[in-house]
Amino acid sequence: MKQQALAHFTDIYLIAIAFFLFLSVFVGYILWVCRKGKKKHYDYLSQLPLHEETRT
Amino acid sequence: MSASNDSSSGFVQVKYNDEIVRMFTLATIIWAAVAFLVGVIIAAQMAVWQLNFNTSWLTFGRLRPLHTNAALFAFAGNAIFAGIYHSTQRLLKTRLCSDVLGKLHFWGWQFIIVLAAITLPLGLSQGKEYAELEWPIDIAVVLIWVVFAINFFGTLLKRNEKHMYVSIWFYIATIVTVALLYIVNAISLPISFFKSYIVFAGIQDALVQWWYGHNAVAFFLTTPFLGLMYYYMPKAANRPIFSYRLSVVHFWSLIFLYIWAGPHHLLNTALPEWLQTLGIVFSVMLWAPSWGGAVNGILTLRGSWNLLRTDPIIKFLVAAITFYAMATFEGPLLSVKAVNSLGHYTDWIVGHVHLGTLGWNGFLTFGIIYFIVPRLWKTELYSKKLANIHFWIGILGILFYYISMLAAGITQGLMWRAIDANGNLVYPDFVETVIRIVPLFFYRAIGGVLFLAGFVLLLYNVYKTIKQAPKDLADETVQVKGASFAVSHSERGHRRLEGMAATFTILALIAILAGSVIEVVPTLSISKYVKTENKVKPFTPLELAGRNIYIKEGCYTCHSQMIRSIPSEELRYGAASTIEESMYDRPFQWGSKRTGPDLARLGKKYPDLWHYMHMENPRAVIKESIMPAYPWLISSKIDFENLGKTISLFKKLGVPYSDREVSDTIASAKTQALGIAARLKDQGVKEEMSDKKITALIAYLQALGQKGEK
Repeated sequence: MKQQALAHFTDIYLIAIAFFLFLSVFVGYILWVCRKGKKKHYDYLSQLPLHEETRT
Repeated sequence: MSASNDSSSGFVQVKYNDEIVRMFTLATIIWAAVAFLVGVIIAAQMAVWQLNFNTSWLTFGRLRPLHTNAALFAFAGNAIFAGIYHSTQRLLKTRLCSDVLGKLHFWGWQFIIVLAAITLPLGLSQGKEYAELEWPIDIAVVLIWVVFAINFFGTLLKRNEKHMYVSIWFYIATIVTVALLYIVNAISLPISFFKSYIVFAGIQDALVQWWYGHNAVAFFLTTPFLGLMYYYMPKAANRPIFSYRLSVVHFWSLIFLYIWAGPHHLLNTALPEWLQTLGIVFSVMLWAPSWGGAVNGILTLRGSWNLLRTDPIIKFLVAAITFYAMATFEGPLLSVKAVNSLGHYTDWIVGHVHLGTLGWNGFLTFGIIYFIVPRLWKTELYSKKLANIHFWIGILGILFYYISMLAAGITQGLMWRAIDANGNLVYPDFVETVIRIVPLFFYRAIGGVLFLAGFVLLLYNVYKTIKQAPKDLADETVQVKGASFAVSHSERGHRRLEGMAATFTILALIAILAGSVIEVVPTLSISKYVKTENKVKPFTPLELAGRNIYIKEGCYTCHSQMIRSIPSEELRYGAASTIEESMYDRPFQWGSKRTGPDLARLGKKYPDLWHYMHMENPRAVIKESIMPAYPWLISSKIDFENLGKTISLFKKLGVPYSDREVSDTIASAKTQALGIAARLKDQGVKEEMSDKKITALIAYLQALGQKGEK
């Protein structure tokens, strides 16, 4: 099994599948991050370093 | 008591642990002085060889690992810890999990640094770049890192802010990945308290080493500093980060891609082609997230560009991000095979590294120090003017350094590859290519001095700032809204993930494991790549003793043992190196820099006496040589005693020594040494050399490239 996997490691189809897989994940991820309706949440997060708590 | 609840209002009081931040900040400054000073010394040694002082613990080969380790673990390490402890408490609105663990972390780390500072000049080294520390120190590093991890994740668990800001993600990725890299790359078997051998050999060791080495840059010098950038840039500019969405994409893309890029340190070598290609492709892809992060950092200043004129902290931070952008543009460029064939092994790489460390890590740290010192010591910065002067001197220093090294690297690279119309090398003598760039070594040293001078101003400024601080430095106490730990079921996607530290950590681990497993695991089956017809004999015991001396003296810091498959290189050194030739080498010694020539096929090129004279005084055989002299090798004795353990261990690790070779190790080493000593005597050496280190080293050097039986 391991030897077989290694033997096909440089297989062009395997590379094409891997490329397609990586690209799909990346594009999907970008779309997910950029979808509408999250602005308020991202604004909240981006303000976290600037939150000055009340000093006592 | 660090926090008290006020249940009626839902608010709690949190007292931050600022003492630990102060301690790490001061340690950063102290160790920076050491790292920079040693850097200036070794830069001067390159320009003036006499500065090696014919003294073992002052030679370049031993001080260079001290410089790199001091810069990496002492300066950058302490800076990271200071910044992480300072920002994490504030971002999570809680006190550090454990003050005791914090102190254990601090003193443990300083103890490790002191041990490194003692052992490296003594030549106690594993001979792997940025991983030279011997096994007991390696274990200490791992233990202290675990202490840090427990304290960090413990703080995450008791946080009052449910959502984890992007800086925290970068810290998580750093902690997890550095642990993995360090442990895997340091798996060694000891033969004594001061000597161990890595379990990986040859190509395996090369790949694991550069998987570690490159990702030490990625996950020790990049991700934690990016986390710091995402916190301190908005703080200093008093503006939120330019795009939080971009930071999300930046984080996941960067940690996923970075881990694959290691093989670009081994282009045109015997490393399998598919691995080299992966290294190139992922390095080029790194352009995108790196620049995404840099743009995100710099554009945070939008609308406040005037601060660049008035605020030295902003100057340092923006310059640091600019240097980050420059270095991460150049890195992928150098990973393109054609460019790499010119730049690799030259000073261009040294310049590239320093663009990142001095510019990105150095300047970001200076900016953070100027930001936090007045706040931690509850006073004003002593002098903004001095900080401004520091900035400009530092910039000048970096430019001197980088431009001189870029010019030296390209000049020497072009000279190495110059071939005339008859197919001969234009510069066949390696030393010709060295003489040409020695003047640039002076400029580099001036650059280092300028950078150090700027740092001395910081030292003085910080000293005066602390001196004017009030005596009572009570920890800062703030009132924050109490924790609501439960992650709401209505939250989805990344928003939900940000509230789940454990899940987030596991996903980050998966992201970095993908590339690691795909690249490293196949090479562990080395038999797939070794051609059975290319049989190679292992080194004899005496040759191994010589190899240990070669490693101890740090010869790998200036000499490679890997002839790349490039025409000019094969003309100069002989046939390209094969996987088989280094298949028993623990550690591999392919090297990363050629201040001197490649040594892969040095054996039998010169008589024994030539090597004897060369080591005693390199100028005796090569007039213009800048190599240090090694007179102590002629007077100190070979360590025959540990050879038996070494050969026995190597046999267990698969090196084909016969039982007789194992049992007769010391006798055979002494016999071979007698032969070399007799030849030296015949050639005019008066003293008896059979038990001296020089004899073992000669045996090793004469064996290089002579082990194949094709």
